[in-house]
Amino acid sequence: MLSELDSLKTAALAALEAAQDESALEAVRVNFLGKKGSVTALSQGMKDVPVEQKKEVGAKLNEVRTAITEGIDTKKLALQAAQDAKAVEGIDITLPGRPGAGVGALHPLTQIRDLAIRTLRRMGFALAEGPEIETEWHCFDALNTPADHPARNEKDTFYLPDGRLLRTHTSSVQVRTMEAAKTLPIRIIAPGAAYRRDEIDATHLSVFNQLEGLYVNHDVSLGDLKGTLEYFFREIFGVGTAVRFRPHFFPFTEPSFEIDVKLEAKGKDARWIEIAGCGMVDPAVFAEINKARGDNLFDPETTTGFAFGLGLDRLAMIMHGITDIRHLIENDVRFLQQFAA
Amino acid sequence: MQVSLSWLSTHLDLSSYTVPQLSDLLTFAGVEVEGIEERGVATDKVVVAQIQSFEQHPNADKLSVCQVDDGSGALRQIVCGAKNFKAGDKVPLALPGAVLPGGFAIKEGKLRGVDSLGMLCSGKELGIGEDTGGLLIMAADSPVGTPFNKLNPADVLFDLEITPNRPDLLSHLGLARELAALTGLPLKGERHHASTSTKAKAAAEEQIVIKAAEACPLYTARIIKGVKVGPSPEWLRRRLESIGLRPINSIVDITNYVMMEMGQSLHCFDLNKLKGGIVVRMAAEGEKFLALDGQTYDLLADDLVIADSERPVAIAGVMGGEETGVTEGTVNVLLESAYFAPSGIRRTSRRLGLSSDSSYRFERGIDPQQVQGGSEFAMKLILTIAGGTAEEVVQVAGEAPKLVGEVTLDENRARKLLGTPDMTGDEIHAILEKLGLTKKSASKHESHWGIPSYRLDLQRPVDLMEEIARVIGLDRVPSRQVAVASPVEAADRTYDFAMNLRQSLAARGFFEAQTLRLIADAQLADSLGGGQGVAVKNPLSEDHTTLRPSIVPGLVATAALNIRQGLHRLRFFELGRVFLTLPKGGSREEERLAVLLSGPVSPTSWHGREPQAADIHELVGQIQNLTRTPLEVRPVKENSANYLLTSELRAGNRILGWIAQLHPARAREINARHPVYVAELLLSALRQGSTGPTKFEELPRFPGMTRDVAMEVPADLPHAKVAAFFASQKHPLFVGAEVFDVFADPSGTKMAKDRKSIAWTLTYRSSDKTLETAEVDAAHTAILTALEKTLPATVRR
Repeated sequence: MLSELDSLKTAALAALEAAQDESALEAVRVNFLGKKGSVTALSQGMKDVPVEQKKEVGAKLNEVRTAITEGIDTKKLALQAAQDAKAVEGIDITLPGRPGAGVGALHPLTQIRDLAIRTLRRMGFALAEGPEIETEWHCFDALNTPADHPARNEKDTFYLPDGRLLRTHTSSVQVRTMEAAKTLPIRIIAPGAAYRRDEIDATHLSVFNQLEGLYVNHDVSLGDLKGTLEYFFREIFGVGTAVRFRPHFFPFTEPSFEIDVKLEAKGKDARWIEIAGCGMVDPAVFAEINKARGDNLFDPETTTGFAFGLGLDRLAMIMHGITDIRHLIENDVRFLQQFAA
Repeated sequence: MQVSLSWLSTHLDLSSYTVPQLSDLLTFAGVEVEGIEERGVATDKVVVAQIQSFEQHPNADKLSVCQVDDGSGALRQIVCGAKNFKAGDKVPLALPGAVLPGGFAIKEGKLRGVDSLGMLCSGKELGIGEDTGGLLIMAADSPVGTPFNKLNPADVLFDLEITPNRPDLLSHLGLARELAALTGLPLKGERHHASTSTKAKAAAEEQIVIKAAEACPLYTARIIKGVKVGPSPEWLRRRLESIGLRPINSIVDITNYVMMEMGQSLHCFDLNKLKGGIVVRMAAEGEKFLALDGQTYDLLADDLVIADSERPVAIAGVMGGEETGVTEGTVNVLLESAYFAPSGIRRTSRRLGLSSDSSYRFERGIDPQQVQGGSEFAMKLILTIAGGTAEEVVQVAGEAPKLVGEVTLDENRARKLLGTPDMTGDEIHAILEKLGLTKKSASKHESHWGIPSYRLDLQRPVDLMEEIARVIGLDRVPSRQVAVASPVEAADRTYDFAMNLRQSLAARGFFEAQTLRLIADAQLADSLGGGQGVAVKNPLSEDHTTLRPSIVPGLVATAALNIRQGLHRLRFFELGRVFLTLPKGGSREEERLAVLLSGPVSPTSWHGREPQAADIHELVGQIQNLTRTPLEVRPVKENSANYLLTSELRAGNRILGWIAQLHPARAREINARHPVYVAELLLSALRQGSTGPTKFEELPRFPGMTRDVAMEVPADLPHAKVAAFFASQKHPLFVGAEVFDVFADPSGTKMAKDRKSIAWTLTYRSSDKTLETAEVDAAHTAILTALEKTLPATVRR
């Protein structure tokens, strides 16, 4: 009996060794340990074993049974592992991923505008807006631009048959905001489209995008203007960016400045690039607003403020090294997808 | 404005400043330097040389070996690559040691083995003129050995942008005055703008009559007889040419010179061609005028003219007349110097589209005090250059308007506005004084200032503050930053909402487009949503005539452009403003979101088959995902020409926008390979559906049960009807239903052509217990019974 058990064990282990899948493994189990299996059959012979051998044979029987069970379990794990390995066999993980719905992108102008807005919001500017079809008063008169000013002619400005015009700058939102204001301070930014009667070429669009800013309070100084815009441009272009203010002229600010930032183009010396206009709100603007409001909220004696405006198209071009402004309105996907975030 | 450094230097000695330093000085005074051009050579080592002989270079076909006379007595050998000369020609020779513009240093050397002791130069190499492909051949009488810069002095030209508030800088004297103020250098003072020594006499009526005193407060005339008109002397020609003016004849050149020198625009008439005295008047409506440029202009009563007793002889301050101009044959001249009011000149110049250096200055404003000085300066030059005799007196009509006065400066306010609390009164006074202002009086914090007559821009205290800021520069002003807590504005919420939409669409694979708001008439047919755009009165081209009533036309154009580039899977959106003409006049602007979709539902890749092309349900689904509110698609009765399937998108009572398929005929026009679908949504309507924070709804605690139902309905029964039926079911256990299959067989083999099969899954749940099968079955049966009663549906059981 003992030797029979030994040879059964050998046979079972050999069969296990040979089993190549789960069903073969199951067959081994049935053949040896099943109800009619050979080990089961032998164990039924235990009753015929002499008492003095029972212990020894019983132990042997257990040993064989355990060995086969463990063998089956081990082999099962091995087979599973082999199968798992096989499941990923031949996968070339270096192939490109599935595109899903594909990658879209925000227009670079949107991105730069959002960057500018986020930066200015951190300094407590709220957004404001106004119509793009404007009255002459909001676009010019209220901004201290006399009726015979060169910008007001039909060569440079789009007009409607009813005498209104397409705003030539977002500065008209300054006027709208001050007109509607209930109290001071006013601290707003106004991104938006503006129009000029320019032929479209590599550097001009007839419809372009600006960002306007206005802060009006008591005792706003040139120092506030400088500090705010230095911070802004350093946030946009980097902490170390040099910013300079050149005296200039705008009808609605006095003093007025143009702002240059010093930027490096690839492989060239850093140079000053004109980026924005700004200045202290001209008292004549406050006076005109008061007249329209019929009160003295913007008392030119005590109220001061600064305003600034910058071209977002130009900012995008400078930021991204875009050489032709028409890319911004053509929406060629080969262009847009370069700005996928 | 073109400004010559050598001309400026006649007023003050700028030799201690380099060109970049001068450029910075001007820039930070508010005069933008738009260009700098260095002309000619500063070195004496470029001289006039005469080519005595030349022969072919022994080792190079393209070179010649020249023997030239450099004035030293001995011949000098130069190897030269040009071909445009002959023996005897005089040419510029750069001697060894010369440094040419651009830093090119000349050395003795050998060219292909032959000694060359200098270089013969082209005009371009000397910084004068363009490349003509050869040597600069000089005048035959140029003296050999003379330094080239004696004949062609070196100069630097600044192209300056003078801002409209500073007309006093539109002359060399004016700029010199400004530079003197900024640098502290003294003006040489040889010529002064307002100096005059001749006697003035009130003009007799028959000589000058001003009939339009508002437009012309001051007119002077001076008669010079017996002049001999001819070419101007070299120095005068050179001055004019250096700043890009073409010399014409001595008299005309002198008036131009005086204008560029001191900003006073003058005009000379041929006295013999004038009939009677000068009349300064408004033109008669429809009066015709033949100007110096050969054009005839139709004048209006708003145009100021200078006339004689019969006709206009000049459009005042803009342009003289062809018939009375000074020519070579002129003997007697009348020299006009006047002050014309800026606004009238500006209107006339604009209306006629006629601008001149003269009108440019008058319309910005000249110094009325310089009118007589200008006349006298011109007279002296005429007498010197063209001879003749001048009348002793200048005839004056009207008087110089007083355009500037005195300004009181509150110095504390200046300090506050500029943000420079530490600026002393002395510093403020020193700045204003060096700019030519006169201190009339000063107390502790206040000073009173007389303004020079040429500073028309200094009228108010803030104008003086600007001057101080300009002089000290912003480097002096300490930066300050304040943050103010601003309440959120409606515009902020709109912006944030719009940004979320943008980001959401970009994340779904859409590209954001930004198209021009001005579109062509031809594009209007691509509009969605009805409504009429706003036409511009003076469009620049037929491509941009109308403010768009819809964003979709721009997206269709965007699709067309990308299709031309070979792209056929199109996913675009744009968020922006549209403009609608209101029926009763006026217009409305609103923000919209437009989406365009065409081509495969996903990008192709190596995985295998081309994904199927999107259908309109794809776009409905995209919008559904975006709006997150149950969307009702309601077909409209009539499509516009460019569209099919046009439908309103609604949520409850709100119209969210429109959706449609671009008509295949239109799609073919843009060579679209797949059907093109578009939608346009109203931002305000979308926002209405998303106000306030989302309210949490308890999760169901008990499992629900589902039952499917398949039914046969007429093929034209819209899904919306069935959906509406289920939405109206109020059975307490019924939660909702969703369609999961739609089947129709247009061939009629599997099902009648006019029928379709639809299948829905209905969900039942109770909020307080797990449902029993029997309860669900009962509820389901009740709903199906109602279904068959309400709709023309046959439930398959």
